[in-house]
Amino acid sequence: MYDLLIFLTLIAAGYSVGTLLEKRHYRSIHKREKAFLYLPAVTMKTVDYPEEKIRSAELVYGSVVISIDYFKKILAGLRNIFGGTVKSYESLVDRARREALLRMKEMAGDATVIVNVRIETSTISRKANQEGVGCLEAIAYGTALTLEK
Amino acid sequence: MKYTPRQPESNVNVTPTSHLREFFVLAGGLLGLIVAVYLMLGLAVDLMVPHISIDLENKIGVHFFQSVDGKDADPQREYYVQSLMDDLQERCAKLPYRFKIHVREASTVNAMALPGGHVIVFTGLLDKVSSENELAFVLAHEMGHYAHRDHLRAGGRAVVLMTFSALLFGADSSVSTVLGHTLNITELSFSRKQETQADEFALETINCAYGHVGGATDFFEKIPKEQDPGKFGHYFASHPENRRRISHLNNIIRSRGFNPAKRKPLPEAIWNSIP
Repeated sequence: MYDLLIFLTLIAAGYSVGTLLEKRHYRSIHKREKAFLYLPAVTMKTVDYPEEKIRSAELVYGSVVISIDYFKKILAGLRNIFGGTVKSYESLVDRARREALLRMKEMAGDATVIVNVRIETSTISRKANQEGVGCLEAIAYGTALTLEK
Repeated sequence: MKYTPRQPESNVNVTPTSHLREFFVLAGGLLGLIVAVYLMLGLAVDLMVPHISIDLENKIGVHFFQSVDGKDADPQREYYVQSLMDDLQERCAKLPYRFKIHVREASTVNAMALPGGHVIVFTGLLDKVSSENELAFVLAHEMGHYAHRDHLRAGGRAVVLMTFSALLFGADSSVSTVLGHTLNITELSFSRKQETQADEFALETINCAYGHVGGATDFFEKIPKEQDPGKFGHYFASHPENRRRISHLNNIIRSRGFNPAKRKPLPEAIWNSIP
């Protein structure tokens, strides 16, 4: 009986707090993405700038670890039984990748463009997704080019 | 190529959906499945019981027995009841079980046949009986349940679950232990027909053991009318049921020409030493 009570409390807490935090995170992401619109981050490996115009080229990266909340974990567990798209994890992955990109841009500072951008994702957990709450790491990296004015 | 700074208007990577709704749909579906399986397990009992070997029954029997609260009390009377049971089994009711009597301190006038040959006799029953024949009848009645394997059927779903668990994970696995603790596995219910068959078995057995059937119906007749029938477990489920069983037994006694004769007293040394 107590176990069930704890379980339900965790689910309710996970849902309410998790939803709140996610909304707040998305607001922050939207705001900062707008602020960084001047800095393009592209996947192209080469750009057609003359080499003498490039003042510096350096590695920039941003990484973030985000945890799933209990409610979404249970929901994903139920999904594991029946199959289908795990919608509850989608926003987690989306937030992590976008946050990593934003942090990478922050690191780039006043660069003109970030080329050859890559995003990678991995799970961080004691036993990935079996015990405890699953954590997700996203890292974005690229080459920040600063051009002569 | 010109770079136009703009933010995407919608997010294609996150499905706009209600997680709560998804949760209730999935959880509801799962719950429905569990209920369906549980109901089917109840139906599976009758199919499974004939296929449960005595060996397997002995293995799962430990869990059933352990889930009954309390410790064995009263070693003297336990020893006596055990030897009476062994004697009945050896001479008259050869069943492939190794019966083990457990005397438990409780006012319940009842005995229980658990899987694996564990017979629980409550002190309430021992205090109530006045002759060996009477006690022998009750014991033989329980043996009747074993002979027809009613005790497995009566265990219902618990027996099915325990059997599967013992087959899949082993009888001493943690899964079986947890199941044994969780399931309400001692709530046995016998049908009227099963009780009647066990009564008949008991009558045959004590006729064989004593050469007469004196004391067979004593136990039913003794119960005072005003007594709460609930206290008397499955022997005395209800008064009309009792009278039906007494008359059924008397019919058999008459038709087979069984001889109702003197009862054999209980060993005084043991019974009188009880405070």
